[in-house]
Amino acid sequence: MNNHKKHSSSGEKKRSHYLLATLGGTCFGVVLVLAALYTSNVTSTNESCAACHVHPDAETSWKQSPHFANESGVQTDCAACHLPPEGTAHYYWAKATTGLRDAWMYLTHDKEDFDWESKRTVEYAPSIVYNESCKKCHTNIFPQGITDDGVAAHLYYEENEEKLGLQCVSCHLDAGHFIAGYKHEKMTSAPVDTTGPVVTEPATVTSFSNFTETIPGTRASISMIAVPGGKFTMGSQKGDKFSRPDEYPAHEVTVSPFFMAEMEVTWDQYWAFYAETMSEGRTKPETIYANNSRPDVDAVSGPTPPFGMPDQGWGMGSRPAITMTHYAAETFCQWLSLKTGRHYRLPTEAEWEYAARGGTDTPYFFEGKPSAYSSEGLWNSIFGTDTTTINRYAIYALNSKSRTQEPSRVAANPFGLRNMLGNVMEYCQDWYAEDAYEKAGTNAVDPKGPASGTDYVVRGGCYNDDASELRCAARRHSDYEAWLKTDPQNPKSIWWLSDIKGIGFRVVCDNFTK
Amino acid sequence: MKEQSMSRRHFLTGAATVGAAAVAAPALLASCSGSGNKLTPLKKEGEYYVPELPDKAIDGRELKVGLVGCGGRGSGAIINLLDAANGITVVALGDVFADRLNDVRERLKNERGQEVPEDKCFVGFDAYKQVIDSGIDMVILTTPPVFRPEMFKYATEKGVHSFLEKPIAVDPKGYRSVMATAKQALAKGLSVVVGTQRHHERRYVEANKQIQAGLIGEITGGNVYWNQGMLWYRQREEGWTDMEWNIRDWVNWKWLSGDHIIEQHVHNIDVFLWMSGLKPVSATAFGSRQRRVTGDQYDFFSTDFTMENGIHMHSMCRQIDGCSSKVSEFIQGSKGSWDSETNEIKDLQGNVIWKYDEEKAKQEFQLHDPYTLEHVDWVNHIRKGTAHEEATDNAISCMAGIMGREAAYTGQTVTWDEMTQSPQDFLPEKLELGPLDLASMTVPVPGK
Repeated sequence: MNNHKKHSSSGEKKRSHYLLATLGGTCFGVVLVLAALYTSNVTSTNESCAACHVHPDAETSWKQSPHFANESGVQTDCAACHLPPEGTAHYYWAKATTGLRDAWMYLTHDKEDFDWESKRTVEYAPSIVYNESCKKCHTNIFPQGITDDGVAAHLYYEENEEKLGLQCVSCHLDAGHFIAGYKHEKMTSAPVDTTGPVVTEPATVTSFSNFTETIPGTRASISMIAVPGGKFTMGSQKGDKFSRPDEYPAHEVTVSPFFMAEMEVTWDQYWAFYAETMSEGRTKPETIYANNSRPDVDAVSGPTPPFGMPDQGWGMGSRPAITMTHYAAETFCQWLSLKTGRHYRLPTEAEWEYAARGGTDTPYFFEGKPSAYSSEGLWNSIFGTDTTTINRYAIYALNSKSRTQEPSRVAANPFGLRNMLGNVMEYCQDWYAEDAYEKAGTNAVDPKGPASGTDYVVRGGCYNDDASELRCAARRHSDYEAWLKTDPQNPKSIWWLSDIKGIGFRVVCDNFTK
Repeated sequence: MKEQSMSRRHFLTGAATVGAAAVAAPALLASCSGSGNKLTPLKKEGEYYVPELPDKAIDGRELKVGLVGCGGRGSGAIINLLDAANGITVVALGDVFADRLNDVRERLKNERGQEVPEDKCFVGFDAYKQVIDSGIDMVILTTPPVFRPEMFKYATEKGVHSFLEKPIAVDPKGYRSVMATAKQALAKGLSVVVGTQRHHERRYVEANKQIQAGLIGEITGGNVYWNQGMLWYRQREEGWTDMEWNIRDWVNWKWLSGDHIIEQHVHNIDVFLWMSGLKPVSATAFGSRQRRVTGDQYDFFSTDFTMENGIHMHSMCRQIDGCSSKVSEFIQGSKGSWDSETNEIKDLQGNVIWKYDEEKAKQEFQLHDPYTLEHVDWVNHIRKGTAHEEATDNAISCMAGIMGREAAYTGQTVTWDEMTQSPQDFLPEKLELGPLDLASMTVPVPGK
């Protein structure tokens, strides 16, 4: 009995210890959880975000956006968009990783070194704005008062969200931070340059030397460079850093002399074309194709009005015209030919690479190796890249501030051509084929590429490309499914691209004996 | 939309399962009489809507109803509603024509003892706004369908529950409008029922349960029909403006009715879309006009729809006297087929493996009229406060009809993507009883 009692009392003691430990543990746990929640809440406030995100423009532009300045008076905080919906596992994971990354960047980098503009592009924004968070608040994307265009666009979104990887910010990039000039303002007329006289005659060309083409009835002119004919090696050599399979085999090509525009077609030149040829909105493609392909056509049908401002608010003037389709670029050439009586067209891929190399056979027409200029690879990403020479000749990811730049910013290549590499990618007239070089044969003269295809060759890299994409031999191609993924019209525009910015073109002239 | 894509996934996973079963045990398929043969459901119970269909709506708060569109269907629908539920007062009427409105007003007074006050009777194109603004809870919209999207939108903005007579859209712009309004109605907790009454017809609801349970296997195709004699028409009378004639003769004018492939045949197209959960991706069609007396519509259409998973559905509709009539739907599955003409499901050998038990239903329920049952369901949702909308599904069925019509009119294959984004809009900018450009309302000629 005694024993039993003793036993039981020690048992009670054990139990009470156990109880105490459990209670203590529970309390500790509760305090820990509360502390964690408190920390989590405190570090999710706007003030906490602003403590490190010291770029004042973020706050200013947020206050100008509909997520701050709106009729309802509801303000959407940083964390509501820049973190997944609160309480989910994804939320805590994203919060931890974002916080660590931001703390690291804050401690190790200078805020002046950041290219804040680039964070506000449709390419980058989806990585810091969570679509599920948009949808958490915007449960009905067909709110009362929505316009027919809005319904059409949102039905398109619903049906293609997964297929095309659409996100809310694909179209509403300015929802959280105001962006000056970001679309939805409709262009009413072409912003044509009105300085200087309207020319009445095209240029007179008597010899094979540089000249300035003038376009009758407009104020626009185009500086044309005489590119001597010659033989060169097209493509990449085995082992060239960053080269891709479609750049092989390197092969000899002979190119006849031609004129090439010194610069990519500018907005001034493009608007002159638009002002004279604009088609009414929603003109059926068949109608346009039919008109423009008549052999006796004297007035081509040109672009329909763009949705929003196609210069992205970056400026017009001599900046390269962008976001046109290949058909639009070809129609520009057709119009220019009709206006001047000379034959203008897009360059062949061979002409383009020959012109870009300017007589050199190195990866770039200037000094230096892709491995030194590229930001890819661990070494360069940590210790930075060499930019001294490339900076003089090309607009690319490290010096563009995420937008195209005036051509005067760069020096010309040995032929006198500017921006062959960088600024915007340029259309060629050839169809793209990955195996085009395998089928090119040896000693081809003025090759024109495959007889048919689905995408066109584009060359030269653009303002947001890494230096490795700027190699003279690098080949790429159009991709209309991706380049038009947010265009909700059906048929999609044959003139304007909705989802690519770094695309333009330059003209060549091969019939100059006028 | 969510439901649609879900059903499609079910379809695809299900198709794989059935494929495997067919290879492994073909003998089982032959004795598909149900016992011991596990069915693969297309959708599980609870994943698709099954209306409760009691003989009468539950009692509850008093409800005030308005009626816009006092023609044949409107006068029928308001009586159906009064049959369906107690505690309903008709407080406002609207129509473009006073004579039609007065007919309904008289009928309500004589047959139901409900007198709609004079100052709540609104005549004109804006009557719908006045009716909806007269303090009603619910509105029946039974005008010619071209007006439906705008009226539905207004009712929803004002927080009024809508009964939408089918069809609910006759052009792409109307389709988009309804799609948006339907979402708003749901967000506001409203109840929206559409007059495609097969959704509330016991034999269809029961057949759908069997099909969703997998009795016919995976759906592999279908045929739907509305072939009948000539429909009514009205010759122009002395003193009528163009607009008055068009509206009084509305089932013969494409801008008002959408043509009969939508106006009438949408019922059958809708059954296939409802049970399969599939949308069409393209339509190839022909049709023509042979006998019609007035208007600018066709007499028949024949349309081949390609659905989003690649299967085909054929639809035909005809309004010509002296030809065979057939109004029904047939759905083919990998294990059997269902025919609404016989209310039977047969296996692939032609054995009847299920039949709608009409006798049992008669013992269980008094009410079998789907036109009344749809109002029972409508009132129940309103009184229970459960949000419910059938407009999205019906708008998609209307869009299928639009695709068939445009394919026949033009002779071109048309696609879902193209038509859902099309700017086509039949609603005139100016609505008044005046002249119309009748010369431009010609019968379409394909290939031109």
